[in-house]
Parts: sequence; C-alpha cells; structure tokens
Amino acid sequence: MKNTFTQSMAWLHTWAGLIFGWLLFAIFVTGTLAVFDKELNHWMQPEIPASTVSQADAAKRAISYLQQHQANAGNWGISLPTERSPGLSVSTGDRRHGVVVPLDPNSGEPLAVRDSVGGNFFFRFHFTLDLPRNWGIFVVGALALVMLAGLITGIVIHKKIFKEFFTFRPDKGQRSWLDFHNASAVLLLPFHLMITYTGLVIFMMIYIPAGVDAVFEGDSRAYFQAQGNARVEQPRRLAKTPAELVELAPLLAEAEARLGPIGSIGIRNPNTAAALIEVRPVLGNRIALTKGNAMVFDGVSGKLLSDVPELRPAPLTQRVMAGLHFAQFGGYPMRWLYFICGLISCAMIASGLVLFCVKRGRKYAAADSRADAAARRWYRVAEVCNVGFISGLMVACVGLLWASRLLPAELAQREAWEVRAFFGLWLLALLHAGVRPAKQAWVEQLALCAVLCGGLGVLGIFAGGVDHLRLGVEVTGLVLGIGLALAAWRVACPKPVVVKPRAARTMEAKA
Amino acid sequence: MISLVTGSLLFAYAGMLGLCQGLERHYKQVWQRSPSPALRLSLRALGWLGLLLSLLLCAQAWGWAMGAVAWFGVISLAAVVLVMLLPYWPRFAVALVAATPAWGVLHLFG
Repeated sequence: MKNTFTQSMAWLHTWAGLIFGWLLFAIFVTGTLAVFDKELNHWMQPEIPASTVSQADAAKRAISYLQQHQANAGNWGISLPTERSPGLSVSTGDRRHGVVVPLDPNSGEPLAVRDSVGGNFFFRFHFTLDLPRNWGIFVVGALALVMLAGLITGIVIHKKIFKEFFTFRPDKGQRSWLDFHNASAVLLLPFHLMITYTGLVIFMMIYIPAGVDAVFEGDSRAYFQAQGNARVEQPRRLAKTPAELVELAPLLAEAEARLGPIGSIGIRNPNTAAALIEVRPVLGNRIALTKGNAMVFDGVSGKLLSDVPELRPAPLTQRVMAGLHFAQFGGYPMRWLYFICGLISCAMIASGLVLFCVKRGRKYAAADSRADAAARRWYRVAEVCNVGFISGLMVACVGLLWASRLLPAELAQREAWEVRAFFGLWLLALLHAGVRPAKQAWVEQLALCAVLCGGLGVLGIFAGGVDHLRLGVEVTGLVLGIGLALAAWRVACPKPVVVKPRAARTMEAKA
Repeated sequence: MISLVTGSLLFAYAGMLGLCQGLERHYKQVWQRSPSPALRLSLRALGWLGLLLSLLLCAQAWGWAMGAVAWFGVISLAAVVLVMLLPYWPRFAVALVAATPAWGVLHLFG
C-alpha cells in the first residue's frame, strides 16, 4: 500500500488488474463470442440444413414424427427453427435425462448430426470457467467484483478523463498503450459498468441468498411460485384417458400474435385428456429476460389455461438487468453493438495487461539495471502469462471451432474431445510462450490465430454446409483474422518509437 | 431498421466530432491553428445536437427503452472510431462527417 489515496488506488488497479486480468480477459472473450452462441452452434454442426419451412409446418412434421415413434412418452419437447437457429429437433423425457432427436425441417426425417459442444461452450465457460457449475459461478462472481473494483479505481486514478477524452497518440511506446487503455475504457465506460454490474445481478440469489431464505424459509419453490411461476396441473386421473391432441397451428398463431416469434413447444401427457401444451417465445421481445415463460393451452380443447405472468416490480428490475446482460433483445443490430463493444472491452483488458509489461520492461531492459534476479523472474512470468492468456486463449477459442469440424463425426464422447482440444491448445500456447522469447511468442501466436480465424471460410467450403448464417460466421472470422494479422505484423516490425527530448516537447506544447 | 441504425451511428459520429473539435487541442491537431471562442462554442453545441439526434434515431429504431440502451453503445463506438482515425488521418476523420447529410438525403428521398 502507498501513502496517498490515489497511490493506493493505483496500486490496487495495477496488481488486481494484472493477477485477475488474465482470467477476466478469458471471461470477456468467451462472453463476446457467446453473443453469437446460436450461430456458432449452427456453424459447428454442418449437417443441419438451412430451411425456409414455416414454424407451423415444422411443428406438424415434428408432431407426426413423435406420434409415430414416441406416442406413449410422458413429455414431448419441440425446438422450432428460428431466425438464429434453423434446426428442428424433438425430445422426450425431462430436461436433464431427455433424448434429443434432430429432424430435417424439410422432410421431418431424423437427421444424423454430429455431437458438438457448440457455441454453448463459450456461454458456459463465460460464467463457470468450465468448473463445476456452482463453484464456477462463485469464482466468476468474485472476478466480476474485481472487475468492478478495477473500473472504479481506474476512474479514480485517471486524472484527465475529460481533458484526454479523445486522445490517442500512436507510435509512442508506453504512452500509446496507456492512451489506448484509457480511451477504450473511458469511451465505453457505460458498457463496462453495465455489463459487469448486471453480470453480478444475474446470480444475485446465489451470491446473497439471505433475503429469500428469510422470507420463504429456504423454500425456493415457494419463492418461484410467488413470482407467478406456478405450474398448471391437470387432475392425474385424466392422464390415463386417451384423447386426441388438438391441432397446433392455430395455437402457435395465437401465441405468436401475443408473444412474438416462437422458440419452442412443450407437450405434457400427449394423447391423453390431461394434455397440456406450453408455447415459449424466443427471448428478446423485450429487454427483461423472461426465460421459461410460456403460454399454456389445454391439449385437447386448445383453450388458453395460463398466460405469461406479469412480473412484479422487484423481479422485473432483476430480469431487466439480466436481460441487459444477455443481449437477447433488439435483434441483430443490437447483437452487433454488444459484440463490438465486447471486442473493445477485451482489447481494453489486454492493453492493460500489455501496459504492465511495457512499463516494467523498460526498467529491466536497461543493461545496468539493478533489478535483482527474483524480480526479473516474476517479470518473465507476467510476460509468459500475458502471451499465453491473451493470444493463447484466442487460439484455443478458434481452435475449438476447427475441432468441431475436424474431429471424426462418429467419435465416442466427441464433445469431451472438443473441450480437450480447447484446453490442450491453451496449454500448448502457454508452454510455447514459456520457451520462446516474448516478442516471437506474440508474433507466432497472433499469426496462428489470424490464420485459423481467416481460414474458417476455407474449412467451411471443404467441410460443407454453406448457408447465410455460416457464411456470417466465416466472414466475421475473416475480418477478425485480418485484424489479428495486422497486430502480428505490427509486433513483428514495430515502427521506431519516437521519444522527443524534453526540450523539444515543451517547445511544441508552447507553439 | 438498418437505415435508422446507420443514421444514429452517423449522427453520433458527427456529434462526437463536434465535441472533439470544440476542444482547442484537437482543433489544432487538424487545422494547426486555434479556434475562435465563438467557433468552439458552436462546435460543441452542434456536437450535443448530433448526439441528441442520434438518440432520437435510436428511439425510432428500437423504441425508447431499447433505444436508450443502444444509444450508449452507438455513441461509444462512434467515439472509438473517431479517436482511432484522428491521429492517423485527421482531415479524413473530419471529412467523414459528410456521410451524415448524404444519409439524410438517402433516408428522406430514397
């Protein structure tokens, strides 16, 4: 700790930023990718065809498949083709132990689709770091607190927020890194604060359960019911009486008129008098995250039994904040805004990490440096981690996409192998950074990442399954690849840093 | 929708450019001379006007609730583009503002 308040804040910002920045970078990168999770899912499963089949037709085909093969199942689930995910799939059994069968929406026939973790992996990694779920949520929550502290301390120690609001001075070494770190942080401050704070709010009941425990005495079911999430139940004896299932198309039309685009249908006790049809919208008709909300219809008469619940003010506030974080609203333009803001956040964190090394590197680079061996060793650790956690993580992320296409489709436990490829690549990148000089390590990993990103399109042509969604992923990959290639090139051949003598600088300031 | 979003981005850029050029150091960076106080003031006023119009376009595209959220993203990104262009191609960064009236003509008569 240091003497003055600002010095203490600077100390906290530097060290917390360095030590937790590596994982925060990983969280921000995967979170940014998770903005397009469904599109990545689709890209990673090239067997799923593009289709222009209407939802009503797709639902009809799904029902006829289920009637043929699973007429006696207790639960049916149908995931309908949507704008972002053109696949159709049916499932039986409950959510955890269900069996999912992908269907061809054009014919209604079952489709052999490779197992893949898909973009969902980035989504899950983003809030659990692939740890056991609850552990991960707590670790990521703690990291989000550090991020919040980093933002606040950053504001405190940045003395010229308004004066240097538009300032970026390239080709000046450490000054440029600081300028970029400041500009990317200050200009996107609303986004940084919003995304970090709302990220914490999503799991507030897990982080601070005392309130619910006190009011509902730990009965989480009562808590959910109090929010209007009560399940509609039919008398059990009706489930033994066979009855014909109502036509779905009019119910879908009614639900779509009320809720907007539909995402999925659930049918409980199909083909009995107790049949219930739940129609769920895709998320994103409003800011509030209304996951799990459904309109429930009687499966025989088609009568509406329960509408989506109106949220009371407190849960609504929480859901709106969660919705702000999940970015499911506002369509593709909003998604792109979030994606690009996310990319700049990643760059902000990365530039802070690099700045740490640039600042200290000068001290150790001087030949007559009196820095002792231990300090040099720690500096080397920071350098290696910077390469391994920044460019190495990016290589691992794009490597996961390659693995999804290159691993044999019928490989046993294919999803586990994809995840192994991700962590394996990351580990290799860390090792590579450890054995190569820092500059070479940066250039090689950034170049590799650029090639892998840019090459997604080539892979797509050879591995098949081109449609407009996949093309979008590939073009985005190409653009990011070009950016990374430029970064690699700049590291490889840096322009000489122009540091003017002090006298010249003051003259210039007066002129 | 796309046209409105483009418009809000362009107005946000124009707004940020106005605020930026209303500052002495950035005006000098482009024109190598100091702005008069009246010019500085009007540039800033135009800057705020640009941001306001950007907000209106966002609200038109998304409605007020989502539009307000989008607006923060839009003005942030516009400012980042400006800050990255300014040191490399200062005159081009200013000239880019011509895209705003061009968009207006296209939007009204296109």
